[in-house]
Amino acid sequence: MASMESLGKKDNGPAIVAKGVSKTYDQRIKVDKKGYKHPTGQCYSCGEKIGNVTKCPKCSARQDRVRALRSVSMQMSKGEVFTLLGPNGAGKTTFLRILCTQLMPSAGDAHILGDSVVNDPKAVRENIAMVPQDAMAYSNYTPWDYAYYLSLLRGMDKETAKAKAEESLKAMLMWDLKDRPSQTLSGGEKRRGLIAAAIASDAPVLMLDEPTSGLDAIGRRNVWSTLRDRAATGKTIILTTHMMDEAEMVSDRLAIIDKGNLITVGTPEEIKKSIPYRYRVIAPENAIDRTRYPEVTKIGDRAVVYLESDEEAIEMVRDMLKKDVHAEASPVTLEDAFVYLVGEAIE
Amino acid sequence: MAVKKVIRDAFLIAWLKSIPDLKRQPLILVLLTALSAIPLFFIVLFGGSGMLNAGLVGVIVSSIGFIGISASIQDLTWDRYVKLREMVVAMPVSSISYSIGITLGFLIFALPGFLLFMGFGVYRGMFDLTGLLLTFGAMALCWLGLAVIGFTIATYQQKASPNTLGIWANLLSFLFVFLPPVYYPKEMLSQYGMSWIAYLLPTSNAAEIIRYLTEQTAWDQTSYMYHWIALVVTVIIFAILVVKKARWREP
Repeated sequence: MASMESLGKKDNGPAIVAKGVSKTYDQRIKVDKKGYKHPTGQCYSCGEKIGNVTKCPKCSARQDRVRALRSVSMQMSKGEVFTLLGPNGAGKTTFLRILCTQLMPSAGDAHILGDSVVNDPKAVRENIAMVPQDAMAYSNYTPWDYAYYLSLLRGMDKETAKAKAEESLKAMLMWDLKDRPSQTLSGGEKRRGLIAAAIASDAPVLMLDEPTSGLDAIGRRNVWSTLRDRAATGKTIILTTHMMDEAEMVSDRLAIIDKGNLITVGTPEEIKKSIPYRYRVIAPENAIDRTRYPEVTKIGDRAVVYLESDEEAIEMVRDMLKKDVHAEASPVTLEDAFVYLVGEAIE
Repeated sequence: MAVKKVIRDAFLIAWLKSIPDLKRQPLILVLLTALSAIPLFFIVLFGGSGMLNAGLVGVIVSSIGFIGISASIQDLTWDRYVKLREMVVAMPVSSISYSIGITLGFLIFALPGFLLFMGFGVYRGMFDLTGLLLTFGAMALCWLGLAVIGFTIATYQQKASPNTLGIWANLLSFLFVFLPPVYYPKEMLSQYGMSWIAYLLPTSNAAEIIRYLTEQTAWDQTSYMYHWIALVVTVIIFAILVVKKARWREP
């Protein structure tokens, strides 16, 4: 696991320490006296296709409860941008909501700047601000209403709240739109307005659940830039995403979560290096002899071949060119590592 | 958390829940006032001007009653839907401030109409000073009662969609204001043996109290006290239900 020093940043101590955080939901849907209807027809633990049973015949996992998080432990440092990466339904939002004191964990605890989310949620709330996934803006509220009034609610006096609201709205390029009711703003502008409200809070720990969903490329880069600037001032930023380029671009470190399990934690570079391949070649699927390569992923009529060294990649591209077939070689991406690690976890 | 902060936050939430809407859609005040006043038009049209005071009691109660239950259900439900509540939970704001803020928020919508009709009642000499103060007291309890009933419904129906609950909220507003003895005295239900309905709802209890205070109903000390008790009991029962079920943080 990478330390902050290895990233060239000073380690200011832990902002968040999560130990054994688990969350289990009851998922029973009673249909008649005979039993229960299974919500998905698939074992939550091993993925086996099953009927309306409360215990999986293959792995014996209980089906009347969904384990959204399974004993997740991790640490985030002050001044760090930390990303929770995972597919839909992985447990990212559940973990974030536990950190935000919106949801009680079934087991384990997390401490934010030393305060327990289980035992001292009021103290935790003094130090956090969050933007939930799919949060919407009330149609009659303006970006200013959100940024200014939510800052006042945090206990700021009027002058400070005004200054913070102005600063955050300018940072999110929303200053010119500050007095426009949300119903006249685009989806991305509304989202940026909500992020500005969270930033205006000046909370030491900022938690953003998929902050850039619905934003265009320029909007996304603006959010990334603002988050990096905030982290440089010592604020800790935690965000969730399933967009690999975002995770790679903005994160100091990231954690991959899948099916409630923590798969790995590290810098984007470390995670890319954690898989046995360094290069990939993309070529038409019918031009590749799959038996020659250990790892090939088919994407429609194309294939991605994973290779251990640049020599192998160059050789393969040369072979393809001799056959007059177009092929591209490049270093593995975070997405490649993610698919490899999550796929391995599923297997 | 200091009491001062709880009160400050409650007023801030009330402001946030009412002023942006009023600033950008002030016509809503006209609509709310008209909704309460329209029955008065028909009462006077068909019953004559002698029915004006009787109808005015209904208008005063409905000016708060019509919006009360609807607003409290819809505010909680929409806050959950747009995730404003999640943002507030993750802030140093107490659940008490939030509840009081929402309750005060819809009062801000209702207050202009209520004060207008009360002023008209005072102008017509319906109230002496004691009657005026007791009417404010009864209406305050009615307002609280409707808020806690609305909170109870929103709390027990957390999975219902905001649109469904919005329709129910409006239906309940009609049910609480136009069907029970609010615009008419409970004695009119006696012939059907149903005058007890007047004791069930905060709106009809408040209306009956105002009718006693403005001498539109023959004084009956027992019945008058029962209406006050019913108002208080409604607030207590539904407040207990909300406190028992509602969770600021999800379990």
